[in-house]
Amino acid sequence: MSEIQEQLRRRVAELLREGTVDLFIGYADASVPLKSSVHVARSAQDAEALVWNACCTSNLAALLPDLLKRPSGFRGEWTPPRVGVVAKGCVSRSIVGLIKAHQIPRDAMYIIGVSCGGMVDRHRASRLLGPAELVEAEFLKGDRLRLRATNGLEREVDLAEVLLGGCRECGHHNAVLADESIGDPIPPDDDIARFADVQAFAERPIEERWQSFQEEVSRCIRCYACREACPNCYCTECFAQETAPQWIGVTTDLSDLMLFHIGRAFHQAGRCVDCGACVAACPQGIDLRLLNQKVNHDVKSLFGGDVGASLDEPEPLMRFEMTDDEGFMTEP
Amino acid sequence: MTDLTKGRGERGAGWEPRIVAFLCNWCSYAGADLAGVSRIQYPPNVRVIRVPCSGRINPLFIVKALQSGMDGVLVSGCHPGDCHYISGNLYARRKFALMKSLLEYVGIEPERVHFAWVSAAEGIRFAELLLGVIETVREIGPATRMIKEIETVR
Amino acid sequence: MNELILGKTDLATFLSTLARERRLIAPLDDRTGASFGVVGDVAKVRLDYRNTSLSAKGVVFPQTETLLAFRDGGGTERIPEAPETVLFGVRPCDARSLTMLDKVFRWDGTEDPYYLERRGRTTVVALACNEPGPTCFCTSVGGSPGDETGADVLATDLGDALLLRAVTDRGEVLLRGAGDAARPAAAAAAAKARELAAKAEGRLTPVTIPTDAEGLVEAFEADVWSDLALGCLGCGACTYSCPTCHCFDITDEGRKGAGRRVRSWDTCSFPLFTLHSSGHNPRPTKGARLRQRILHKFSYCPENFGEAFCVGCGRCIVNCPSGIDIRRILERLVETTSKAGGSV
Repeated sequence: MSEIQEQLRRRVAELLREGTVDLFIGYADASVPLKSSVHVARSAQDAEALVWNACCTSNLAALLPDLLKRPSGFRGEWTPPRVGVVAKGCVSRSIVGLIKAHQIPRDAMYIIGVSCGGMVDRHRASRLLGPAELVEAEFLKGDRLRLRATNGLEREVDLAEVLLGGCRECGHHNAVLADESIGDPIPPDDDIARFADVQAFAERPIEERWQSFQEEVSRCIRCYACREACPNCYCTECFAQETAPQWIGVTTDLSDLMLFHIGRAFHQAGRCVDCGACVAACPQGIDLRLLNQKVNHDVKSLFGGDVGASLDEPEPLMRFEMTDDEGFMTEP
Repeated sequence: MTDLTKGRGERGAGWEPRIVAFLCNWCSYAGADLAGVSRIQYPPNVRVIRVPCSGRINPLFIVKALQSGMDGVLVSGCHPGDCHYISGNLYARRKFALMKSLLEYVGIEPERVHFAWVSAAEGIRFAELLLGVIETVREIGPATRMIKEIETVR
Repeated sequence: MNELILGKTDLATFLSTLARERRLIAPLDDRTGASFGVVGDVAKVRLDYRNTSLSAKGVVFPQTETLLAFRDGGGTERIPEAPETVLFGVRPCDARSLTMLDKVFRWDGTEDPYYLERRGRTTVVALACNEPGPTCFCTSVGGSPGDETGADVLATDLGDALLLRAVTDRGEVLLRGAGDAARPAAAAAAAKARELAAKAEGRLTPVTIPTDAEGLVEAFEADVWSDLALGCLGCGACTYSCPTCHCFDITDEGRKGAGRRVRSWDTCSFPLFTLHSSGHNPRPTKGARLRQRILHKFSYCPENFGEAFCVGCGRCIVNCPSGIDIRRILERLVETTSKAGGSV
């Protein structure tokens, strides 16, 4: 990890000095353990603060449209700044998705791809310490993590135990689109049972699923951290906040919470790269993958494809086959 | 007889399923119309909303109908290959498959949401489809899930 | 009846007595650590937490509140008849935040009956902090780990017992009703509590907070805001977890024959917050919105209410998905304004 970090800092400093990019978006340390902050480097000195470790959970692609689009009220010819970004596998796939959706211009970006072994789920890690609060986390050799709590309690765990759900099932450790890459490519894991959680949930009786679903979404506070953290949610007006006409209330009534999450998961169909940024962003620790992965599973099994792998392949909901499945229909 | 315009249902006491049907103008709505002019009887439990094409149907319409307290939702369009707009129903088919699956997954009874292709010539088939949907919904009773409560103050 | 000692083994009995006649709200176990909820089983109440992910403001200022509802033509304004409530185990920062919300909802002759009804029926038992966390900074904004502001009773965890000290008449009434579970405290207990509070204060790292409200406004046009806000997602995680943020939206919902008017939390971080129906947005950028949030808390509220609307609980730091730290923003502002020749 630290080798990638050193190389990254060096390269970013060079790119900024050469003027290849006007600014570079990456990660820096945060004030809270197992978290990183979004960092913008404009000078070689700024590049010194860049980090690359297992706390880099944000999907930086989410910030690109705002940086690259014409500012509100701007008159005349707009040339976007040249923006550099460090992209792990999922981030690069989100970038592919955004390019295909014409939300960001490819030629205004400089992508440094990095190979990624997975990110820590800090809620999961915190829970290992029981009621005490996590106050320090240290990465150890051999992919281990030492956690220390406010009451002095210490625990050492394998990184694999506390990775984000999506990272445990990752199929794209390396960037699929990049101007240059750092870090030895990590080969794909062939024998991962993807969607096991989704299938297990689907097999439970319908009453139980209904109860679990309610329990999960009832925690939601409509802060939209999940939505804002997601690169796919670039709509200037989200259905959840439309008032004329109003799709759903802006309230935390259970019905509105359910519709928000069903709607958002559905709107991701064919586009979600399972980066886990939404899960990491949620202050309430809601298992958003419960819904997102269900949609991902259905898209994969019904329509195939590999989200964000190719700039040329249209999104699944942007195409159709005459032979598409009709098993769901009452009277096909 | 229960007034179908007021309130939500309670099982028993003359409850009648309330179903909304989104029908595409060129095929399914015409099919419904054919049932009508042919004097084929079917119960009045269904409210029809005419749309230009099944591809116009935002899957959120289905969820919103359930939120409003509808006991059942039917969506019907042209047979694949016959869409007046060529491919509207083909795009729609993918969206509907996903929404149907997602709703059942979270615990909405699958018997409440129905999809069909009905052509303009299929008046009898339309009536039979509706009868089937109404009976299916009647069997599972009034909708209780996902309904947004706005009449009472908490 | 001013100070009582309650052995930890008697806590459940004490809480059960409280819960018999009132709605008891206390920290309960939650996947985020602890979270305020209505207590069913008193054994589930937790006092060994640093702070909850969300503040307790929802008790007096619910996130969703129906202001009026109607059916087929008649309208009724509904002031909720709030149940008598004990809010037990809030930290002093949260207790203090209630006094700030009081200033907003009863301001300059205007009173919010919805808030005041709930507030008037809530007794606050605060729990002093013995172990502040790394994101706490209450002492930098006028609070402290043993602060009594906003509390009706201040509890201190002495290890095997809680010291309960009545701060207000309301608090005395509560302690009087505690039954036999607690007994009068000796002076040593109070001394121990003070010692713990002093020790806790010593663990807090001070933060430079801009104190000159006018000076801050000089920073309004500074370039610094857009970079500070670059990572900001424009979500509501900070605002909704903040104990002093209080902005809200009012929407009408209706269908045939019935409808309601509902108040919901809102946040100036949303781009929609100031979007006019013409399409114009006076705060079109993230920088402008972050500036608003900071200046509201540290400049406009001091002007309107005499104090900065921040209690140093650190929730915004913990919950921000982009790792933005308000302390760093404030330090940068002090730096920026002093460089420009001003002072904050």
